[in-house]
Amino acid sequence: MKRSAGLLVASALGLAACGSGQQAPPAGGAGQVTITVACQPAKSAPKERQAWDDDVAAFMKANPGVTVKSTDQQPCFDPKTFGPKLAGGQMETVFVVPVTNYDDVIRQGQALDITAYTGEIKNWDDLRQDVRDLVTKDGKVYGVPNVHYGVGLVYNRKLFAEAGLDPNTPPTTWAEIREAAKKIAALGPGHVGYGEYSGGNTGGWHFTQAIYGRGGSILTDDGKKAAFNSPEGRAVLQTLHDMRWVDDSMGTKLLVGWESLMVAMGSGKVGMMLGAPDVVTDVVGKFKGSVADYGITGFPEAKASLSGGEAFMINPKATPEEAKAGMRWLDFRFNTVGKGRFDFARGKAIGNPVGVPDNAVYGDSPTGQAIQADRVKNASLPVENYDPYVKASAAIPPKAEPVHAQEIYAILDVAMSGVLSDEDADIDKLLADAETKVNAVLAAKG
Amino acid sequence: MISVGARAAAGRRRAARRPKPIDTGQFRTIISPLQLNSRWGRRVYWAVLVTVVVTFTLAFVFPLYWMITGAMKTGEEIAQMPPTLFPADPTLDAYAEAWNLFDLGTLLWNTAYYSLGGWVFCMLVDVSAAYALSRLRPMFGGVILGAMLATLMIPAMVVLIPLYVTVVDLGLLNNPWGLWFPAAANGFNIFLLKRFFDSIPRELIEAARIDGAGAFRVLWSVVLPVSRPILGVVSIFTIVTSFKDFVWPLLVMTDSDKMTLSVGLSQTAGMVTQNAVMGGLVVASIPTIIVFFVFQRHIMAGLTAGSIKG
Amino acid sequence: MAVLRRNLTAYGFLCAALFCFAVFAWYPMIREFILSFQETNLIDPPTWVGLDNFEYAVGYPGFTEAWIATLQFTFLALVCGFAVPFVVALVLNELRHARAYLRFVVYLPVMLPPIVAVLLFRWFFDPGPGLFNQLLGLVNLPGLAWLDSPATALISLVIVSTWMNMGSATLIYLAALQNIPPELYEAAELDGAGILKRIRHVTIPQTRLILLLMLMLQIVATMQVFIEPYMLTGGGPAGSTVTVAYMMFQFAFTNQNYGVAGALGMMLMIVLLVFAAFQLRLTREDKA
Repeated sequence: MKRSAGLLVASALGLAACGSGQQAPPAGGAGQVTITVACQPAKSAPKERQAWDDDVAAFMKANPGVTVKSTDQQPCFDPKTFGPKLAGGQMETVFVVPVTNYDDVIRQGQALDITAYTGEIKNWDDLRQDVRDLVTKDGKVYGVPNVHYGVGLVYNRKLFAEAGLDPNTPPTTWAEIREAAKKIAALGPGHVGYGEYSGGNTGGWHFTQAIYGRGGSILTDDGKKAAFNSPEGRAVLQTLHDMRWVDDSMGTKLLVGWESLMVAMGSGKVGMMLGAPDVVTDVVGKFKGSVADYGITGFPEAKASLSGGEAFMINPKATPEEAKAGMRWLDFRFNTVGKGRFDFARGKAIGNPVGVPDNAVYGDSPTGQAIQADRVKNASLPVENYDPYVKASAAIPPKAEPVHAQEIYAILDVAMSGVLSDEDADIDKLLADAETKVNAVLAAKG
Repeated sequence: MISVGARAAAGRRRAARRPKPIDTGQFRTIISPLQLNSRWGRRVYWAVLVTVVVTFTLAFVFPLYWMITGAMKTGEEIAQMPPTLFPADPTLDAYAEAWNLFDLGTLLWNTAYYSLGGWVFCMLVDVSAAYALSRLRPMFGGVILGAMLATLMIPAMVVLIPLYVTVVDLGLLNNPWGLWFPAAANGFNIFLLKRFFDSIPRELIEAARIDGAGAFRVLWSVVLPVSRPILGVVSIFTIVTSFKDFVWPLLVMTDSDKMTLSVGLSQTAGMVTQNAVMGGLVVASIPTIIVFFVFQRHIMAGLTAGSIKG
Repeated sequence: MAVLRRNLTAYGFLCAALFCFAVFAWYPMIREFILSFQETNLIDPPTWVGLDNFEYAVGYPGFTEAWIATLQFTFLALVCGFAVPFVVALVLNELRHARAYLRFVVYLPVMLPPIVAVLLFRWFFDPGPGLFNQLLGLVNLPGLAWLDSPATALISLVIVSTWMNMGSATLIYLAALQNIPPELYEAAELDGAGILKRIRHVTIPQTRLILLLMLMLQIVATMQVFIEPYMLTGGGPAGSTVTVAYMMFQFAFTNQNYGVAGALGMMLMIVLLVFAAFQLRLTREDKA
């Protein structure tokens, strides 16, 4: 084992030629290794932070010789600092990447090929195959999928009741969504029937969710041309336009950036939004929403659902020892039933929202079932509020994000904010413009 | 109390008898003193004065009032339509909340540390450079000064990216030196200091030289003491600029426990309630406003000195 | 020998500054130039790509719009940020009371960290409980969408920008006005010139250089506008507030495309250098 590790180091240094005279790394202190790991909870969440610190201590006890240092940058993945941190030698050994950026990170060689280390994750084979495929390129594995979810419709059950709608039969069609939104908006000033993003790349992201749901696509199958200037794309924008300007059920404020809609949702005045179950967790956990109010149902009329989630990846500059230690940490904290983040009993004890089916990374595998059983047992949230989502999502096929997602989302923001900020917006022109722009970007990328 | 009231009453009586002329001082401006003190001139003058004072107060003070009182309202009251002019039930809860949520203690400490540390380093570097260029007159001094001033011509946003790449290469991310080194490369400071040093009478320095003082001694005991005004102006501007800076620390100090106040506020503002945001903003404004109160004269003098003759 | 010693001492005093300038000012200027002809992700060794970055930037969707938005912003900001402070300074200079207060107050926003001004105005612009629409409602006017409509977003940014920056220009003009010799006004008055004529024939010619200088300075400053769109609109709605500086930042830090950002920066620099050259000529004229 040590010999092959030495070889790897040697080849990494470009010394592979001198096979016999290789310089083994200092052998002292069998496997003395220090790794840095990202995503320690922020100081503003002291209990979760304590739980994390306890896990770090427990892990270091179980793995003598491994020292774990945590970083708590918020958000833990920041596209702005990602490349520079890597270049400046500041990147953690283990870092998180959202699904939107998998492709870029892997393509640019910013993540380590961990095919040889997947054995460290004991439940590796139980991770959903389609989710594992997302972090696999040319047969090589570059990440450990950490979170996976499909989009549904998050709604405020309390507002539904106030507006005379039945919270137990949420809308199943876009026509029903429009009707429900109108009734909720009519509750009084400040009430928004249906909330939607329009800037900071989130507009394009939600456009993608909506068009996938309608059976449309952002790009052609070969990823070379834009495909959203289609009847489905037009329907997405037309519906939003009509809800905003004909029904006046979407409020008057443009929502830019992820937090904006979350804050609005948490304030209890927004009836519905597109979102995955993690929205419920965040609205309750970070934005002061009241637990019992939020439910989630399947994506109405959905033909496909945009995959969301994140994966852990390993620093390409990590030594094999560091990489292995990092994988063991991932196994311990993130992939063991009843341990680390899946320690739902502890989560409930410290007041986390437990019970939202916010992670389908293990799907229906034995591990996945064990996690779900554990989650339901310790639930602190009304799990029945999420049943419609669980039932509906099983039937909806997941669909991955387009390549160059962030650049395309930025372009589609223009179309989204276009219909939401201008009553006389020309939908055909907005789509045609965006199509031209996306094609130009794709052409330039080659 | 009584005497003040009596004096005011006396003033009113006098005003009623004979309108007090507007004192034009020694300045003569567009409108002549005669015109100003005509019957209509006076009326127009007072009308304009009141309008200007009211408008300025509304435009520049009222927003700050709104910010301070906004932070004293509850979450419901701040979102209420129409809004209340005075907080119904003033509370400092939002300030406390902001203090915790934004981790303002850490942010304030970081910002103060970066500003003051940067100031010390900047003064060391720029004063000695200006002194060398002004008094020691090395070979190529003119070229060096020219090259330093040339950096002022390059727009800040344009060098942002290459400077950032350089700092990344040097591994100075999340390191205060990543802020301090670029701040010290300030051509404008050197220009101001050098111009002032140039104006110090030769005799003063010659006298010290004859007493056997070396270059450092001359700087320390002759040049610096007489340069106090310009040192004050440069110091204040250096500190205030680094305190206010946003884009550069946004890129360089990214760790949450190393962020500056401005960056910390911008990163967390979307996640907290409006009244807590206002609380954070008030706390962030206090240091610079105190500096302004205390050093008002220096700041205004520096502003006009630097830009007009520059 | 004495010359050598003097030079050695001088360079001893200069070395720290030379280091700072060399590494953090001069080298980045050269690096900017190099960067714009390279493709780099900061990790792999950069490759030379000739003019590809420039072609990519020019062909990038929204390139022309970004320049138009930047010019519009600059123009609007000049109307507000250049003309308003001058008029304000003219009026202030005539006042004999409350001068200290007014000067203090107009400069107050300049002292605030820009992020404070920007976040404060973000709340004022809120179409619901925001201050501006509530004030409009008070006088029975309909509310505006402010940042949320392509029609008003840019002008909203100009309002913030003017509010937080006009103090320094006002005080500089005020100082310039106070330097005008009173005899000139007296002479004009004897010639029978009214107030407007006195402004046209005395005030403006006497402050011409400062006015031009400030004009150039402000053009250069406003063309680099970044914080306002970055914090307030994220470039929206409908792309109406994507400025060149904002686009450059996005290229570098969202798309990790440092080369293209460098190319865009070069173009911005060339445009701004033209203005800077004007400024330099004016300064020379001033000294001559």
